[in-house]
Amino acid sequence: MESRLLRVDLTTGELKSEVIPHSIFERWIGGSGINNWIMWEHFLTHDINCDPRGPDNIFVFGVGPLAGTGAGSGIKGRITFKSPCYNMFGDSAGGGKFPYMLRFTAFEYIAITGKSPKPVYLRICNNEVSLEDASHLWGKDTLQTHTMLREELGTYPSKVHTLSISQAGENQVGIASVVSDALRIHARCGGGAVMGSKNLKAIAVQGNGGLPIAMPDEMLAWSDDFRQKIDSNEAVYGFKRRGTLGAVEMYQHIGSHFWRNNQGNMFRGGEITSDNWVNKYHKYSEVCSSDCFIACDAKYKIDGTESEAAKKYIGESFRRPEYLTTGSAAGALDVRDWAEVAHWGKITNDYGIDNQDLSCAISFLMELKQRKLISDQDVAELFGHEQSLEWGNMDDIEACLHSIVFQKDLFGKLFGDGPYLGAIRYSELKGQNFMKYATYGKGGASFTEEMRPFPTWMNNMAVASRGADHLKGIGLIEKFQRKDLSKIYFDGRTEAADLTVPTLKGASTALIENQVALLNSYGVCLFHWMLDPSGYTPQDYYGKAYAAATGIDRTPDELMLDGARICNLEKAFNSRIGMRREHDTVCERWMWEPTEEGMYPGSVAADMFNPVLDEYYEWRGWDKESGLQTRKSLEACGLDDVAEVLAQEGSLAK
Amino acid sequence: MITVHAKFHSHFKELASADEDSFLIEIPTVSEFAKCICDKYGARMRAMLIDPKTDELNERGTMFVNEKGMRVSAEDILEDGETITFLVGIAGG
Ligand code: SF4
Repeated sequence: MESRLLRVDLTTGELKSEVIPHSIFERWIGGSGINNWIMWEHFLTHDINCDPRGPDNIFVFGVGPLAGTGAGSGIKGRITFKSPCYNMFGDSAGGGKFPYMLRFTAFEYIAITGKSPKPVYLRICNNEVSLEDASHLWGKDTLQTHTMLREELGTYPSKVHTLSISQAGENQVGIASVVSDALRIHARCGGGAVMGSKNLKAIAVQGNGGLPIAMPDEMLAWSDDFRQKIDSNEAVYGFKRRGTLGAVEMYQHIGSHFWRNNQGNMFRGGEITSDNWVNKYHKYSEVCSSDCFIACDAKYKIDGTESEAAKKYIGESFRRPEYLTTGSAAGALDVRDWAEVAHWGKITNDYGIDNQDLSCAISFLMELKQRKLISDQDVAELFGHEQSLEWGNMDDIEACLHSIVFQKDLFGKLFGDGPYLGAIRYSELKGQNFMKYATYGKGGASFTEEMRPFPTWMNNMAVASRGADHLKGIGLIEKFQRKDLSKIYFDGRTEAADLTVPTLKGASTALIENQVALLNSYGVCLFHWMLDPSGYTPQDYYGKAYAAATGIDRTPDELMLDGARICNLEKAFNSRIGMRREHDTVCERWMWEPTEEGMYPGSVAADMFNPVLDEYYEWRGWDKESGLQTRKSLEACGLDDVAEVLAQEGSLAK
Repeated sequence: MITVHAKFHSHFKELASADEDSFLIEIPTVSEFAKCICDKYGARMRAMLIDPKTDELNERGTMFVNEKGMRVSAEDILEDGETITFLVGIAGG
């Protein structure tokens, strides 16, 4: 297995092709593992404490070795950088056809440094690469940018696929995202701001090369088996019909939504509490990424008859909202009309903004207004004009979005880095402590689900390398109370599935982080695995596909160690910038304010937080007091060189 | 004989074409209850509820909870008048 990395220095305009040798795949698997390593090496020669919006930051795109192979496991590309909104390790996955198409050019990884003197886009057409003027694209949203590049670049040797930013990225808004083909968003951590800070508007790829597969017969056999397994699971058909929207009714039943800035955990309103909307709007299912046996994506088109509010959006068509788009609108902001929820999904995508960060920032402010902690005059000071800031008011919500995207007034400037820094800045400005109304973990914005009854989730929020996060540790054993999984992972023990005890919760986080790191490094979608985590084990079942694609045949134990190595490198990055145990924490609301509704009332994170965190460090082999890695734990996963760097900088446990 | 109520959500609701139903069952266990539901609603409901490999409740992509929000297992004993809710187990997005 070999691959090619395109290095782009935007300051000098130099474009350089490098081989990524087999040994790097042996150590880092691919995808996010290799991205992490490219970034780690970069910051051995550049100041890791640099301004993330400065030329010293790096922006890496990579796609793993299973992507585009016909494996049927979906394709996710990954961007990796130092996060401008959280000022720590940052990365984000995204689907769409961009990552797939990149594999059909001469490159699978791109590392971008420096800053261009003027707006440019990077063009990759098979093995030809160039930096092109993007002044005509500057000021356009992601849909406009994608459409213009498609028209400009034609259809030979293939259709154009793009990765682009909107005005939010251009304005270096901390929570600006990067959007693939104007449809699928790399939302988290502010990659859009990093691209914007480099004057990089887009990357456009076209390719018609082939993919090397080490063992094609084995790959085909694996793929056949996978398709049969997927097709014989009726739950997959249900997922195809609803996608993640299937979670709406489950969360409504157990009380796991994030309502009004997490003051509650159930949606209010009629139709919004069910997923019947799917049948009303569902046009057809499709795959988001060219190589997926599930196809959970779908389109809606609003004809104006669906509701009173729908009349505003006649003709609007976009992807059916995912659960978290719904959770942020119907939950965090209490929007009660499905057409408005769908519209929220479209505008946050077109403007390339993370709707989790954005909704938490807006709902924080709405709660201050609701509690009369701020006056109409305070609101007018933030926006330059009066606004009701009533829950669910879409006009107000859109005004907040514009304020952030275009950085045109005080609200946008204060909250452009999300709710945590926004709340700190606003508290300082007003001379009052509003932090108890901000929802976050480790400085990262919450994802819009109720998590207080779920100790593994709370641990995920505190320890995830990129701030509060649902896609690194994924507390599925506990949330779905999967005793069967707990038994498989923990020698017949069932406590990992038991919400009422702290035991095995930190262990679950560590174990699943390692598994997810593998999936992210293979370059596949997580949903297939989530639908049958014991059937499609990343270290065993997927491991065979990885071997077929790359020729790298590992035992499940070796692959789990590979996953641990990838997680440890992310941790080491954060240790180098000074993060310690005290940073592995969650907001006051989650820690101390009990849930008042749902199936699990009276839950607070504090009940189990410290024992779970201790157990997580124990399972990782890290020092419980400082939260730092030990030399032994790093050497155990083959990171002696990383331990040396940390020791030199005083970031290794004593 | 006891009466046990079922609440169906998401894909279960579609398979049953109903939001809820009630069943009279002789043996008061979750597995017997699941069998009654499968008998009434047919092959696709069976495919969703029962794992063909183990003949046990299908844990993959599903979530069956009692009134306290606790997941039930095949061997759990049910009480007269109890409600079990059938949900899909998916998150994120
Ligand atoms: S399961 Fe859904 S999100 Fe994942 S690759 Fe397939 S269509 Fe895309």
